[in-house]
Amino acid sequence: MLRAAWRIAWKDVVGDFRRRATLSSMLFFAIAVLVVFQAAFEPDRQEATRLLPGLLWVTVLFTSLVGLGRVFQAEEEDGALEGLLLSPMPRGVLFLGKWWGNLTLTILVELMLVPLLMVLFNVNLWQRMPLIYGILLLGSLGLTGLGVLLAALTQGARSRETLLALLLLPLMVPLLIAGVQATGGILNGGEAGPWLRLMIIFDVVYLALAPWAFGWLMEE
Amino acid sequence: MEGGSLPLPSTDATRDATLTVAIQELHFNFGRHRVLQGVELTLGPGDCGALFGANGSGKSTLLGILATRYRPRRGRYLLDGREVTPDLGHWARSQLLFIGHATHLYGHLTPLENLRFFADLRGLRPTDRTLAETVAQVGLGAFARRPVRGFSAGMRKRLALSRVLLARPALLLLDEPYSALDGPGVEWLNGLLRDYLIGGGTLVMASHDPGRVAALPHRPFQLREGRLQAGPAAGGEGC
Repeated sequence: MLRAAWRIAWKDVVGDFRRRATLSSMLFFAIAVLVVFQAAFEPDRQEATRLLPGLLWVTVLFTSLVGLGRVFQAEEEDGALEGLLLSPMPRGVLFLGKWWGNLTLTILVELMLVPLLMVLFNVNLWQRMPLIYGILLLGSLGLTGLGVLLAALTQGARSRETLLALLLLPLMVPLLIAGVQATGGILNGGEAGPWLRLMIIFDVVYLALAPWAFGWLMEE
Repeated sequence: MEGGSLPLPSTDATRDATLTVAIQELHFNFGRHRVLQGVELTLGPGDCGALFGANGSGKSTLLGILATRYRPRRGRYLLDGREVTPDLGHWARSQLLFIGHATHLYGHLTPLENLRFFADLRGLRPTDRTLAETVAQVGLGAFARRPVRGFSAGMRKRLALSRVLLARPALLLLDEPYSALDGPGVEWLNGLLRDYLIGGGTLVMASHDPGRVAALPHRPFQLREGRLQAGPAAGGEGC
């Protein structure tokens, strides 16, 4: 069953590289957001370090929305979603595949985002990069898990990207706050532990419910 | 882009399993529109049920119910005597293959990649050679490594139908299988389906083309005003 989930994720990632669709859009969007922030604030190094957690997570959130809006784009082609649903795989496995695909693209963007942020804002946090990536991964698990579920819910709607943002943003607030606080704790010497635990709790809740809810959504 | 002429399928398309399909007093509606009313149908291994009827008569809906895409509002759907409930949906889908108007192909993938994707989603483990042979059997060997996006409708249809060779389902559901196929394609498909039936498979197809179905041993059914009636014969050999 995991092989089927892996194949769905592979199909989404390979498809994205071949079509140059989602990943490039997410990346250009992230660069645009960071450049605008930099031009608007022109922060010095100390101020940039203080602002960085918020900037990072806002950029990740908006960039993820770009990617999540296209999660089911490939399935619109020639009845492909029906093909997935008529396969004997449990709906939860289909969800896992779609989630892994989106998570992979999100992580690829984040890998490029953090160095870009440091260069643009002229801050030297290279030594803390592994920790920042760790927190980003924790946040991305829940963000993409819930996001893919909501993308499935809204994929038939006419203004699905607006609807997706409307549904996702309120539900993501606790995870985002925890992500910003945990990142701030690591960059500015505060406490990150409780916030990390909160992120893990939200990840577990979202990822435990999402495959079940996906199966329920995808019934007739 | 168009493929070459089609070789007839190899005759090793024997089933892993056979089963009986039965629907009893089946009703279905979309909102207030009653599509199916008290439909009864029983088909066993080696049977081909051909559904005929006007546009909107409910042929595709009936196939959709058999494929587990829709749930009957009333009545029973049994596979091998087991009622297909949502809990048994995975099992039912592992026994059947549905090929409808949409080919369920991904344009950015090649035929080989599309078949690998299909195989993984059914839990099949074909070798690369088996996949290549399957693609060659439907006359697309020369296009095996090209993205499907540039294929003609007929080529896409052939590739979709090649899943029958790969999956060897006990129940095959086809919605307008002859559409988009050229003359050799129709001949090839009928050869494939004849072998499928000889091997003990159960086939239900919806068609507007009795002349082409006539080349197969089949039991014709007419859907009129939501009711399924046997016959009239489509001009071919009934069984």
